[in-house]
Amino acid sequence: MGSSSGSAVKLSNVVKRYSDITALDNVNLDVRYGEIFGLLGPNGSGKSTTLKIILGLVKADSGFTNVLGIDAEENPVAVKQQVGYVPESPHLYEFLTGIEYLDFIGDIYGMEPTEKKERIAEYLQALDLEGREGDMIAGYSAGMKQKIAIISALIHKPKLLLLDEPLTGLDPRSARIIKDLLHELASKGVTVIMSTHILEIAQAMCHRIGIMLNGRILALGNMEELRQKAKLPGSDLEDIFLKLTGTEDIRDVVEALLK
Amino acid sequence: MKWKNVARLISVDIKSGRLMRSREFRKYRENKFLTYLLYIGAVLVGIAVAVIVLSVYAATADASMRQVIYDGIMALFLSFPSLIFIYSLVLTLMGQLQRMGIKVSIQPPYWLPITWSEHTLASIIAILLGIPLASILLIGSIVAVLSIFLGQVQLALFTILASFASAFMASTTTEIFRVLQLRLVGAVYKSSGKAAVWVRFIGSMLFIVIFYLIWFSIASGMNSIAFIGAISSWQRLAWFIPYVWLGMALYSLSYGLLFDTLIFSIASIFFILLLFYIAVKLNTRYGLYEPPAITISRGVYSPKTGFLAKLGFSSLEAAIIRKDFKAFTRRKELMYIFIMPIVFVIVPLMQSFNAATTPSSAFSQLFLSAWVLLIPGPAMAVIMGDMILGEEGGAVWHFFSSPLSAGNLLKCKYAVVASFSFLVTAICSVIGIVIFQPSAKVIAASLIETIFLIIALTMISIESGIRGADFVEIPRPRMIKTWTAITSFILCSIVGLVILAPLLPHVATKIGLPISIVPPFDLYISLIASGLIASIITYIFYRLALKRAKDFLINAEA
Repeated sequence: MGSSSGSAVKLSNVVKRYSDITALDNVNLDVRYGEIFGLLGPNGSGKSTTLKIILGLVKADSGFTNVLGIDAEENPVAVKQQVGYVPESPHLYEFLTGIEYLDFIGDIYGMEPTEKKERIAEYLQALDLEGREGDMIAGYSAGMKQKIAIISALIHKPKLLLLDEPLTGLDPRSARIIKDLLHELASKGVTVIMSTHILEIAQAMCHRIGIMLNGRILALGNMEELRQKAKLPGSDLEDIFLKLTGTEDIRDVVEALLK
Repeated sequence: MKWKNVARLISVDIKSGRLMRSREFRKYRENKFLTYLLYIGAVLVGIAVAVIVLSVYAATADASMRQVIYDGIMALFLSFPSLIFIYSLVLTLMGQLQRMGIKVSIQPPYWLPITWSEHTLASIIAILLGIPLASILLIGSIVAVLSIFLGQVQLALFTILASFASAFMASTTTEIFRVLQLRLVGAVYKSSGKAAVWVRFIGSMLFIVIFYLIWFSIASGMNSIAFIGAISSWQRLAWFIPYVWLGMALYSLSYGLLFDTLIFSIASIFFILLLFYIAVKLNTRYGLYEPPAITISRGVYSPKTGFLAKLGFSSLEAAIIRKDFKAFTRRKELMYIFIMPIVFVIVPLMQSFNAATTPSSAFSQLFLSAWVLLIPGPAMAVIMGDMILGEEGGAVWHFFSSPLSAGNLLKCKYAVVASFSFLVTAICSVIGIVIFQPSAKVIAASLIETIFLIIALTMISIESGIRGADFVEIPRPRMIKTWTAITSFILCSIVGLVILAPLLPHVATKIGLPISIVPPFDLYISLIASGLIASIITYIFYRLALKRAKDFLINAEA
């Protein structure tokens, strides 16, 4: 595995426009190996576009994207081989059973049959899906579908995980398992980039956090650095986020609704 | 029952049609004029038809001919409720099928203070609006105009009233079918094991075969006047069936049998109320029924040993091929692709059976056998190739996020489409050979040409399928843009003719057409020429498709 100046993911001056909307406006980002990086921001701030550019799903209008030492635009297939991705709304093949779907994913990443079987069994057991793997995904609850999507991002042992709202719909036990698992993976060098609206999760899990607004990164750093930036010593991520994104004056809104 | 609730529910229900009609959901505007235009148009067309019929009637000097026309009009009056029942039943069933095919279903708002009676009534009426109501208005206006000039106003009024009651009866029956279907399909799903999937697949195929057999036997065996006459006389024989009681009431009225009219009318009202009661009860019981998940296998999971790998496919390509084979035998909207080969076989078979008593010409035998051997496989390739990428729908993100190259994508999709097409060719050929018994030469030439056609048309349609892929799934999977599908069909038709062109002189000679411009070459030379044309076209479209696939994978969100 090559590296680009010690960065697992490096975005340099990335710009992306959708007709008259600027989704990403000169974004610079540097995520290190083994880091859990949180990407926060209001709806439409550019988080999902950033994740998609990293994965090579979206071509930037300008700028440079290096992922795991590979030029993402030049060689997206090589990047994808080493990445696990959970989209915000994972559309799964609902006509497949859980086990068929995971088998399909394992084959897509060229896993050896024995390893694939073992890892699928481990994950199904860990996330309480044992006994339901023969059911069609169409019959799964939203949480079960999310578990399948997460397993499919993890079974091939990726070096980089891109997770868009990964814990949505999970029961507390499964959410805890995933959180602990991500920490363990990070300690072994796996890089995790996670987008979420649940600020408590971001605060508890992420080594560093980037807050986005209108396609720009407003603030970036660990909790202490963010507090300094927001000039809110001792405050939690919610207060920091609301202040930095200019949405902290919600009291007036609530009072207006109560009238 | 709160009638305002019913009216509100109808209003909501008919708006669900927007999901089927429109793809532009932002700043949505509906042209109400067009809605009413349908009904106004139906009435105007009905009046025009009636005026034409009356003009013919008035212009006919022959008394016996006038009597025939008069009897025909009276038969229309008497058969009208049963006719409306049949049309409404078919149209409302089709409407329900269409709704079932869309992803966004209309769930009864059970958490609101609305009774099941109100919901059921609204559902029954709402499904009647649109084409079914326009059909009633069309025929109703014909009846109304004719009645005025024939002095049958009283009978016509009763006929129109009975027609609305018939339409309601048909729609209520459809509602009952809908709920029962929901329950029965659930029961099929519940029968666990792999059998459930095959029961569903084979059941769907049987339904399609039976439906088309009935359809073609009606369509090819009877004209509309004979159909109306048959209904008129049939309903008198089947008077004990409650669905024809309204027709019987009309028949009695036309003969001045007032007591019979009253009895059949009251009996019809009770029957309609009974149907409605059943529909409400079924909705109460199964209206929110959630079919359980299909359990396909509870056995020990063992990864595939890799038959496809032996054929030269990578693990990634084999995974996609296996997934696509499962998709086409499990997804309801994809299963309907098998309608095409079934129709292609049934049509000539029906023709053949109809012509069983008369000696068939060499041309018709050759045409029918070539039709069954030559067309289904390539047609399957065209239709399936068009949709093979778009069928991924929202799940297409797997392709974008997987280590999938353009070559991989093209290879596995081509393999799926070509395999299905060859399979269809094999099945249809066996049927065609058994039924039509063509010569060995015709069989060999047809099958070789079919292979050439499948090889070339699969590539062309896949290229179109990538170019025009439409991953929109709500309200229903679109799979390919309409315009691309049309151009693909035209292109494939032209290319198909070009590939077949070297053989056309042979066909002309065989059926005795005097073509002097192009002398028939040796058959082997014609086949080689055909193969060369197919190879060149396949290569050109392979390059194009590869470029499309590259662009598709790079510009995921473009």
